[in-house]
Amino acid sequence: MKTKDLTTMALMTALALALSWVERLIPLELLIPLPGVKLGLANTVTLFALYRLNLPAAALILTARCLLTALFSGSMTGLAFSLAGGFLSMAVMALARRSRHLSVYGVSVLGAAGHNCGQIFMAMGLMHSTAILGYLPYLLMIGTVCGLATGTVCAGVLRAVRG
Amino acid sequence: MKSGRKTPGKDEFRFRKGDGVAAGAVVLAAVALLVCLLTANGGGSAGRAKIYQQGELIREVSLAENAEFLIEGEYRNTVTVRDGKIAITGSDCPGEDCVHSGWIFRPGRSIVCLPNRVEIRLEGTAGADDVDAVVR
Repeated sequence: MKTKDLTTMALMTALALALSWVERLIPLELLIPLPGVKLGLANTVTLFALYRLNLPAAALILTARCLLTALFSGSMTGLAFSLAGGFLSMAVMALARRSRHLSVYGVSVLGAAGHNCGQIFMAMGLMHSTAILGYLPYLLMIGTVCGLATGTVCAGVLRAVRG
Repeated sequence: MKSGRKTPGKDEFRFRKGDGVAAGAVVLAAVALLVCLLTANGGGSAGRAKIYQQGELIREVSLAENAEFLIEGEYRNTVTVRDGKIAITGSDCPGEDCVHSGWIFRPGRSIVCLPNRVEIRLEGTAGADDVDAVVR
């Protein structure tokens, strides 16, 4: 691994952590009282890494972000959720990126949907219950709006930071 | 890491038709799932609430009698039953999503406290005097 790559990934991990902290300042869950509702700003880092770096780099950044968030918050349940959501989201985005018909916006929306599904599946597994599936439609709808918003952010960054 | 890079074309970051289709498809899937779940659950008012912790039934309460009790686990949830409705009215869990879920009374509805692995699920017979679906 080249030092420059390592530094880039470390910087982006730090950026993702900072973004997920900033995101907590936006009280979206007061507006929409559903568990797991958030803007998904940290996901823009994964999205950016997929476009500007590559899949292994994005996966490394994501793993480091999830582990460090769990370390800071001390929540192991949280780790399971962020890994499930993060990796399903990344897999969906990596696949969607290959489509010629989709740009950052569509990839971001599908990634948000993947994140929602991953978290709900993890919750269903942890709770041994399917009742939580009732949250998924609402999360998907909010996720679409948030996915478009973060996609717009990422498109702006991609335009500004040329590969 | 050069392999993943490519020189951006002129419209690489412009909104494409496919993006709209993708967003529409997700919303459509959400609405379809919502309609499925709502028709499966029905309306009316629930008679009893079943409380599960880690997937196991730990308590069953009638919504007809007002009550207040505590569920202990990793965290503590205060459950209140009042006027045929049930809610988690207090909790020391992080986020307190369960408290923000508010009062529920329709069969099939549930309140979940993930940190405490608690789920309150409403049972009961479906009534016909209710809306078919709510789309937000």
